[in-house]
Amino acid sequence: MKDIIFDHVLKAYGKNVVVKGLNLNICEGERLVLLGPSGCGKSTTLRMIAGLENITDGQLYMDGRIVNDIPSGKRNVSMVFQNYALFPHMTVEDNISYGLKVQKVDPREIEERSKAAISMLDLNGLEKRKPKELSGGQRQRVALARALVKRSDYFLLDEPLSNLDAQLRVHSRKELVKIHEMYHQTFVYVTHDQVEAMTVGHRIALMYDGILQTIDTPSNVYNRPANVYAARFIGAPSTNILEANLNEGKLIMAGQHIVPPEVWIQKMKENGGDMFYFGIRPEHTKITTDYMDNALKGIVRYTEDYGNKVGVYFDINGKELISVCDNNVPATGEKVYFTPDYSKIHLFDYKTENSIGYPEDLSKHNYGVVYELRGRLAGDRS
Amino acid sequence: MNRISLKKQNGDNGRAYLYILPSLLVFAIFMFWPLFRTIYLSFFDWNMIKPDKKFVGFENYIELFQNPLTYKILGNTAAYILILLVINFVVPYILSFILSMMIKKGQNFYKGIIFLPSVISLVVGSILYMWILNPISGPLAIIAQVFGVTLPVWSKSEGLALVVLSLITSWKVFGYNFIVVLAGVTGVSQEVIEAARIDDVPMHKVFWDIILPMSSATGLYVFIITIVQGLQYVFTPIKVVTQGGPNYASSNLIYHSYHEAFVLYRTGMSSAFSIITLVLFILLLIIGFKLVEKGVYYEN
Amino acid sequence: MKTELNSMKWHILIIIIVCILIIPVVFAVSNSFKTLADAFSNMFNIIPANPTLENYIHVFEKLPFLQITINTFFIAAIVTGFKIITSLLAAYAFVYFHFRGKNLLYFVLISTMFIPFTVIMIPNYLTISCMGFRDNLWGVILPQLSDALGIFLLRQSMRTIPRSLIEAAYLENVSDFKIIKDIIIPLVKPALISTGIIFFINSWNEYVWPVLVLKSKENYTLSLALQMFISAEGGTEFTIAMAVSVMTMLIPLVLYIIFQKHIINTFTMSGIKG
Repeated sequence: MKDIIFDHVLKAYGKNVVVKGLNLNICEGERLVLLGPSGCGKSTTLRMIAGLENITDGQLYMDGRIVNDIPSGKRNVSMVFQNYALFPHMTVEDNISYGLKVQKVDPREIEERSKAAISMLDLNGLEKRKPKELSGGQRQRVALARALVKRSDYFLLDEPLSNLDAQLRVHSRKELVKIHEMYHQTFVYVTHDQVEAMTVGHRIALMYDGILQTIDTPSNVYNRPANVYAARFIGAPSTNILEANLNEGKLIMAGQHIVPPEVWIQKMKENGGDMFYFGIRPEHTKITTDYMDNALKGIVRYTEDYGNKVGVYFDINGKELISVCDNNVPATGEKVYFTPDYSKIHLFDYKTENSIGYPEDLSKHNYGVVYELRGRLAGDRS
Repeated sequence: MNRISLKKQNGDNGRAYLYILPSLLVFAIFMFWPLFRTIYLSFFDWNMIKPDKKFVGFENYIELFQNPLTYKILGNTAAYILILLVINFVVPYILSFILSMMIKKGQNFYKGIIFLPSVISLVVGSILYMWILNPISGPLAIIAQVFGVTLPVWSKSEGLALVVLSLITSWKVFGYNFIVVLAGVTGVSQEVIEAARIDDVPMHKVFWDIILPMSSATGLYVFIITIVQGLQYVFTPIKVVTQGGPNYASSNLIYHSYHEAFVLYRTGMSSAFSIITLVLFILLLIIGFKLVEKGVYYEN
Repeated sequence: MKTELNSMKWHILIIIIVCILIIPVVFAVSNSFKTLADAFSNMFNIIPANPTLENYIHVFEKLPFLQITINTFFIAAIVTGFKIITSLLAAYAFVYFHFRGKNLLYFVLISTMFIPFTVIMIPNYLTISCMGFRDNLWGVILPQLSDALGIFLLRQSMRTIPRSLIEAAYLENVSDFKIIKDIIIPLVKPALISTGIIFFINSWNEYVWPVLVLKSKENYTLSLALQMFISAEGGTEFTIAMAVSVMTMLIPLVLYIIFQKHIINTFTMSGIKG
């Protein structure tokens, strides 16, 4: 089993603890993405797998063995560095084959593997060039080729696309996935770019402040965020989060209230407590300038045109929320009515900030809820 | 993150010591051990040959501070420092400023030639200047004769000898100091200077208020190196030209240590003089670093 | 036009300084090809009217000059070789390893640059005598097998190599020896060459320590041989002294002219970020 297991792994530089008791299982052959903002410990985590950082405490297992004290060269890993780490004085060919030559691999074997890597990564004709005579994309492919010829069981990538321009990045990440589909190494990929994480990973491990926040499939990380941090980090613009007080079937937020569907109230009661965080993505909301029942009322402060959509920033008693809409964009200063799609809302425990879970069947409860509840609300208001 | 070295996790720090060992061995035998041995010797009366040394405690130091000659030599040392600093610290600073501001073309050419004497032996330099400045037959004397001036016999006159020896040393030291200071001065962001010039700040103010503080880390290095290395470089012309004379008027602390040890064979006195020199250098470094802490500007 | 004139003024100032620095060298070369009489009567003729090799021939007759040159070269070559190797190894350890006392050790080694040579002169003289190396070239060489300046310069240069290059090599299980040979040396080559040349030139020009150690003429270095021609009066051997001077300057100047750019860059580096 070419798996990787972090067992209470801690990494500190003096007093500065950068990875705080990490528990993480990476399965053989999967593509795991370590995602998080800079300084969250994701690169350190990757470098611990590579053996480039020592482990302060806890155990790291690879292939069933504790590898804490195994030097990098003996771990059977290959790595693509953020700045590619190509040897500037060696040709493309020499860069690719250097490791194999040092390992005294049979020259015919080296030749064969290098050729295969060169043609797979479309580097034909560039063999004799030095890194400085290559474009950014070509350098990145050379780094990839150098990592591939080793045919190692673990493939580590430290922000490999961050030095490329946007178009090339999209192209390269598809290539990376294709390559992995051919070799099926255990693939660990560090990035701060959530789109990259969503498209590349089988699973995403979200880290913040040295702590693993959540690990799940891209779809779950997006649709079922495990905690407030995950909800906020994934998606742009960021998820709206409001403190919410459950009171007699109503959710009081920013001094106003809405009435959520019964299934959600049930869920909140199961969780216990009456304070929650209420989360909704900007793209799962509706705002209108016309009067709407069971809605929060706010004033538009600012709008942002994304081309295909418009982001509307509005203010509800001092809390700023964002909604993304594609037509009927309200103007700055206008009064708006805001309602979430109740099938897409997230509720988190106030203390732990963890998700309280989701009701089983949410398909009926989107914006339609407004009309279902009209009767009840009418009674409320009187 | 980058500051953490790699090899620790590879479980093998011993190798680092192994790689430093050759250097450390040389330093231990020929630098650290001698340093302590000199301190030790400064408490003895010895002539390097006699089988036994006589312990005299602080007597060497007491004698040193009671001897008027010591003060003459300290005075000479101060004079050397002053002259060396003016020629090899102040002038290079001003020249660098001029070169970086006014002269865009030919900078590398000038740098190349100005540095050239730095690669030539000071013995060669001493011989060349002894001839050029020869008061009777040297070219300068002949030119002076045309104007009816006779050159003094500088090597035999107190004061002048010291000045000429400083000049000879400066001939070698100047180039190195100049290129280092120039690098510091040209390292000051062009934008900052342009910003000042847009505000019509006069040139001398640009120098004082911008160039000097922003290149002060380099400046401090050159300041220290001029004193520490300069005093040692002066040794060669002193030894070659005047042997400290006339009447110790061109001797400095460094030369006098040598003189006590290898001319007068008084190792105790020589050691005491060396230790005094070392203490002076250390004081100088401490003052220097205090200055750095206080407000010297570092680019990084 | 005005700025042009302004700039002219500064050019002239700098040219004067350049002349003061360079004229002695020109005179030395010129006089070394003149007879003594010619040198005094036609002092200001830079190009000798009747060039002669007499002075150079005389040098070889009067002194074991070939031997002296070989001595100087031998000392400089061995000292340079060792200094480069020891400095390279130490710098490698200081840049790529983490170990106890690293910063303190580095600080201590670098501070030795500020120790005046008189502080170590007597004990080193005694040590060398004790080893039986007085009046022996090895006596000059031994105390100079490592150099703090070399550790400093090579460390500065190695620090510019991105760390990930070395990490990439670690991942391939490359040994330290191969990392130094295949990656470090090719990448710090300019600094290595100029540091080596600086060491060579400094050793070639060295005077203070050899003058204490070496006693007999067969063991002299060029600087010591030169010293024999010194007399404050100008002397009858003045043109011969110029010939010896020229031969002493020759190798450092040739090296300097070839590697000028490297040397200036490396020296510049020594002062910045110090």
